[in-house]
Amino acid sequence: MSSRRVCQRCSTLPASIQRAPAPLSARIAAKRCFTLSRTKQPSKSPSDNPPLQNKRRLSSLESQGQRASSEYVAPPASQQPSQSPHEDNSRLLLKPDNLFHSFSNSPSPEIRRRAAFMKQNAYCPHPAHAQTRQPIGPHDLEARKTGTHPPAHVRYECPDCGIPVSCSYEHFADDYENHLDICDQLREINEDDHDLRSGRFFPEFEYPGPQLEEAQVNMTNWDTLLYTREFNAIDNERSLRQATRLLTYPITIGSVIHELSPYNIQSGGRLTPEGLKSMTLRYTLHPPRSGAGMTVAGLRPNPPPTRLFILGARAESSLPREVWIQLVHLFPRAIFHLIFIGPESMANRDAEFPLPPRTASNPFGAVVEDRISGQMKISTFVEYYHTLHAAGAFAPYDPYFDAFVLFHPGLGHPASSHEWAETIPQLLETKVPVICTGYTEYDMQRDIKWVHDTVGGEVDMLLEPGENRFRSLRWDLNDADPSDVSCGNFGLWAFRGKRYETTRKDVE
Amino acid sequence: MSRSEVVTMVLGRRLPQSSYYDKDFRPSASLYRARQPYLVKNAFTGIAMLGFAISVYTFTIRAVSQDEFEDVKVPDAPVEAPPTSSAVAQ
Repeated sequence: MSSRRVCQRCSTLPASIQRAPAPLSARIAAKRCFTLSRTKQPSKSPSDNPPLQNKRRLSSLESQGQRASSEYVAPPASQQPSQSPHEDNSRLLLKPDNLFHSFSNSPSPEIRRRAAFMKQNAYCPHPAHAQTRQPIGPHDLEARKTGTHPPAHVRYECPDCGIPVSCSYEHFADDYENHLDICDQLREINEDDHDLRSGRFFPEFEYPGPQLEEAQVNMTNWDTLLYTREFNAIDNERSLRQATRLLTYPITIGSVIHELSPYNIQSGGRLTPEGLKSMTLRYTLHPPRSGAGMTVAGLRPNPPPTRLFILGARAESSLPREVWIQLVHLFPRAIFHLIFIGPESMANRDAEFPLPPRTASNPFGAVVEDRISGQMKISTFVEYYHTLHAAGAFAPYDPYFDAFVLFHPGLGHPASSHEWAETIPQLLETKVPVICTGYTEYDMQRDIKWVHDTVGGEVDMLLEPGENRFRSLRWDLNDADPSDVSCGNFGLWAFRGKRYETTRKDVE
Repeated sequence: MSRSEVVTMVLGRRLPQSSYYDKDFRPSASLYRARQPYLVKNAFTGIAMLGFAISVYTFTIRAVSQDEFEDVKVPDAPVEAPPTSSAVAQ
């Protein structure tokens, strides 16, 4: 499953890419090839110190990113639409009606490895055990543990969902009501994971190109968006879940900054008047027509690109670039510069190592991908944001062009909040909108509370916290704690440093 | 990259067809889901428009059918004249 293979698409790459001689372009071409060279574990945490909760965020999205690309590559039949997907049964590991397997007895070796990891790292949540870590919140099952039994790793797999959830049958039977709450979801996760590794043809990972500007996009929900964006019809719910898990990242950003955004200032719309004032990005993203053309007479001055700084980037920086290009296709006449910043921003991108040398023109050794599209450039910095801010690497910030995006940053999470303590005040000082997402409602509220506590009210809310319309529909399992299920970008909110139009000066 | 999938085969050629309709040209599940936010509102709008059209017809026909035509004198049938002698005299 980890053999090196070049996909058919690369063998038919446009000649311009094939002629590119520089090693940087070769690296980018290798990226576009989506070769199967990556063999990283989906959960790479053997060197972690406890608690393993902080690695929850390195969820199996990475495996999705690499698996999706590998599965996208695997069947050469993908290029011939006439070939029925059922003809090539020899490639199928699992038929669609045979997707439920217990994790320990799974036909896929990767899932068996995950089951082994769970059995070595996850603890049984029964209240009779002693606590192994501080409970993260009131809903955390760890808070119920008041007993004195030594903590035991999970061993017993639930027969209905196939995931090891208890240390023994007795504890499982005792705690069955709690397990029933999530058993259905766990079963769905189980089937989706097996589906991703089943070797079938994935029509849902074929994305459409740019569309006519007058054919406007409807952002009410996933179905209307996919329909108006001219995606191929995704009838199967499982396929829809697989597709939205990747697309949630660009579409969440797009849904906030687009002028047809579903968030508005009416009473249920969640956008505040300050938020509307901050959406000045829309002036740049939807520019008036300037009479530009392809000839010399049609030359017009163009504004600089919209910069989206994605801080604390982990799995999202390794998303296939075709997924990020979907953001560009929502905005016909705008250009983008996506900047991934974070110590883990090269996660799952081993093919692109070593990083470029630090030179005067590239002082932080950023990986720059500028051959993706005429409208998008992606840079990746393996640094903390506060280092770059202090160095003035991106100054000046302009709310007409810049926005910060934080995908489940874990601002209030005890394992990661210290890393954000220096960055958040700097973000507020730029007065540029910051769009934030969270894994769960509790996660989001904790982040908001942490921000308010850290900066003491110098924050304007732009978007009231709530469920993201374009969240991932597929739920993810935390390998270190099987009862913890979350979905990508579940909650969405936005904030900005408080702007004072006029301030009072005490005259005494 | 285009949205239509090549599906039907007619005389050895393939006709493009939107993937939102199945091979019998019926809307697929994804199309129903995409239409769902608008089903109820559209149904009400349709009923309102149909109701308006029907009411205009009803009112017009009722208003026109109330006319009384008794005061219109229908003239008698024309009397057939006998052939005149002037025709014979010529």
